Amino acid sequence: MVEDLRTERKGKLLEVKDLPTLPKVLDEVAKLVEKPDTTMDQVAELISTDQVLTAKVLKMVNSPIYGFPGRISSISHALMLLGFNVLRGIIVSTSVFEVMTENMVGLWEHSLGCALATSTVARQLDLPDPEEYSVAGLLHDIGKVVATVQLPELKKDIEKLVKDKDVYYIEAEKELLGFGHDRINAWLADHWKLPPNIKEGLGYHHKPQLARLYPDMAHAVHLGDFFVRVFEYGSGGDDNVTYLRPETLKHFKLKPADLEQMLDHLSGQFVEIADLSFSS
Amino acid sequence: MQKIPLNLVQPGMVLAKPVARPDGMVVAAPGTELTESMLSRFEAMGIGQVVVEGSPVDMEGGGDTAFDKRIERLDHIFRKHESDKWMNQIKRLVKHFFKMKAAQRAAAMAAMAAAKAEAKAKAEAEEEAKKAEAEGRVKNGEEERG
Repeated sequence: MVEDLRTERKGKLLEVKDLPTLPKVLDEVAKLVEKPDTTMDQVAELISTDQVLTAKVLKMVNSPIYGFPGRISSISHALMLLGFNVLRGIIVSTSVFEVMTENMVGLWEHSLGCALATSTVARQLDLPDPEEYSVAGLLHDIGKVVATVQLPELKKDIEKLVKDKDVYYIEAEKELLGFGHDRINAWLADHWKLPPNIKEGLGYHHKPQLARLYPDMAHAVHLGDFFVRVFEYGSGGDDNVTYLRPETLKHFKLKPADLEQMLDHLSGQFVEIADLSFSS
Repeated sequence: MQKIPLNLVQPGMVLAKPVARPDGMVVAAPGTELTESMLSRFEAMGIGQVVVEGSPVDMEGGGDTAFDKRIERLDHIFRKHESDKWMNQIKRLVKHFFKMKAAQRAAAMAAMAAAKAEAKAKAEAEEEAKKAEAEGRVKNGEEERG
């Protein structure tokens, strides 16, 4: 019975007609990437045919979040430096950005902040491909947006519950929906064919200790989410820090001094991303 | 014993804990009295903070900075974890960090204000001197004419 209700809601959430649509060019790119003899230049050329998208992507990749501020001038350059997975994630974020800023005040800033914090964690720990961590941070709350877009009456109820009972946003989601945005994230990741490491970051950032395939990713996003809440940059829907799992510190062998170093790096950086958006 | 950022350390303060480089190599032992040259070497090594004897720096003051605001908000954003030992530990760490940054900011502001005051005093003195010189010249001229 309960399962039925969940399946029904999952279906509703993933109803393609209302789901933020990804730019058409992304489908074509995905097909192209699957062919073994495709070159990077061909992919870049195809993406570049969508000028609006190109402008948005370049704006994002040149932000301090990705580590090459102001130095990436073309899509082919971005592909070379960041890889297709990162570009794919950025393209997904551009397509939900508008809904995000309209629907939930502060969530875009919270997401950007989390991208920055997660990539800071990855860089300080010398994890490979820190840009992929940025993207996971950027998209970590995407399920919140999609839930409120697909089930508009739900949004008011969640916000009321958060306010009246002083619970976490995710607790309110679970009470009213039966599951949280982390679960929605995982469905969306499948739906949009995001790479498995990013999917794990999205699906397990509230319970990183259970991540099996890419625990680095889940723990990094978990820590990034905690940091951005400590600085209260933007809002994830409630004004609490998340419970920082001791397993995360253990997983990365983090000492208090390491945490301080990350906080220090971040305290200077939040200023730099303050006015970053896809709107022009 | 107090952990303070390097730019607030004064020569003459005494180390309470060993100082280690970011790579873990210990470069100074507890009990060492710090000198100007040691401090500049620490800075070159990338050492950000040291633990010294006593409480030489007032970490509470700092005026109205963003970091003071952060400290103020901590009780509120950690409110769900008041009875959780682990999260209280984390909160203390974060609080210490923000206090340190606030003190750092305050020191920087004070230094800037001092530099400004000094520059102003210097400019005034120069102005004064010029005026005196000019007056002197006028006087001399009068004398010559007279």
